[in-house]
Amino acid sequence: MSYEFDWSVLWRYREALAEGFVLTLALSLLGLAGALALGIVAGTAGAGARRGARVAAAYVEIARNVPLLVHMYFWYLGLTALRLPAFWCGVLALAIYSGAYVAEIVRAGIQSVPAGQWAAALASGLSPRQALVHVIYPQALRIVAPSLAGLLSQLIKDSSLASVISVGELTFAAGAIEGETFRTFEAYIGITLLYLVTVTLISQLALRTLRGRAVDPAMRF
Amino acid sequence: MDFSVVARNLPYLAAGFRVTLETSALVILGGTALGLLLGLARSGRLAVPRGAAWLYIEFIRGTPLLVVLFIVYFAIPPVIGHRFSAYEAAVIGFIAFIGAYIAEDVRSGLASVPRGQVEAGLAVGLSPRQVLWLVVLPQAVRRMIPALFNQFVRLVKFTSVASAIGVTELTGATLAVNAREFKPLPLLTALALAYFVTGYGLSLVGRWLNRRYAIAG
Repeated sequence: MSYEFDWSVLWRYREALAEGFVLTLALSLLGLAGALALGIVAGTAGAGARRGARVAAAYVEIARNVPLLVHMYFWYLGLTALRLPAFWCGVLALAIYSGAYVAEIVRAGIQSVPAGQWAAALASGLSPRQALVHVIYPQALRIVAPSLAGLLSQLIKDSSLASVISVGELTFAAGAIEGETFRTFEAYIGITLLYLVTVTLISQLALRTLRGRAVDPAMRF
Repeated sequence: MDFSVVARNLPYLAAGFRVTLETSALVILGGTALGLLLGLARSGRLAVPRGAAWLYIEFIRGTPLLVVLFIVYFAIPPVIGHRFSAYEAAVIGFIAFIGAYIAEDVRSGLASVPRGQVEAGLAVGLSPRQVLWLVVLPQAVRRMIPALFNQFVRLVKFTSVASAIGVTELTGATLAVNAREFKPLPLLTALALAYFVTGYGLSLVGRWLNRRYAIAG
């Protein structure tokens, strides 16, 4: 144990860390937006009994049984003809991979809403789309809020894999600091704490926001 | 798509696949053991192990896998003055990582065993340790099967991250072949297929075990 710690590197490289952090947030938020869009469509289709359910199930099984890293390489190396910037390869990979998990959450949420709610909504003259948006989704949201918050924190952590396809996010920034200063321990422990704080704060925030918007059917009567 | 590049390099890719399977097997064993230990500590009455397990679990669950691997491979060696090989670092990192997630499944598995079971065990004269091993754990493990297999499937997928620190497992081997041949599309498709078959296969085993051993209710 003759290692001398020098935590000041984190302060000296604060700009590089801040840049990386911003990219991590951008990757995560864009990835989340894509994952929600894909997941809500696939999850809603998956909850139904039509042919759409099979297509949705195929998407879910394929997307989530392939490692996220392979998703990233697929866009970055496999489809080089598209000439997508590494950042967008990362966003696409995160969106498609996490979208499969969102789909499963949404499907479970919809299926947990009692069938009588559907019947009642349709009987009162709502179109199927109105029934979904105004009756089913709000009730499902209450049930899936914790899972969605968990997924968001997972997504933020997963975005670190984009460093492997050379996106300059937080983990990549730590690697760069390490390369210049050899302060390996400080760099990686520093970003670990940053991830820890970010993930904890954002998932708590998400949970509160989602819970606030969700509808508890029991409270309406 | 021309898959002959896969066929040409099959022995090399198969060697990588073996490393993936070996790593997964080691990590399943080590991670389950660590998860059981942490989960028991977390559910126990002793404050210090409970607090330590809580801290560890929260720390790992808030940290990306890649960063855990970097910590084991790059950050810890200069501090302790001992270097791990990339493979050792990957196995240690994966076990440390998945153990924290399995610990939470173990904890909820233990909590799902009705309190009356413990009281009944103690009432018939079993020692607390006997109650744990003979009454609580056998029931908890059977309830944990789906959650455990979810973790195992996840784990097989994320062994691919070991390629980032230079382990030539399946993903590393595929990337190496691609660097030589530059046929990314067939190579990556075969790679995705290999993970899909392994992961899906493992989840089918989990479903089968669950059907066979799960306790209703």
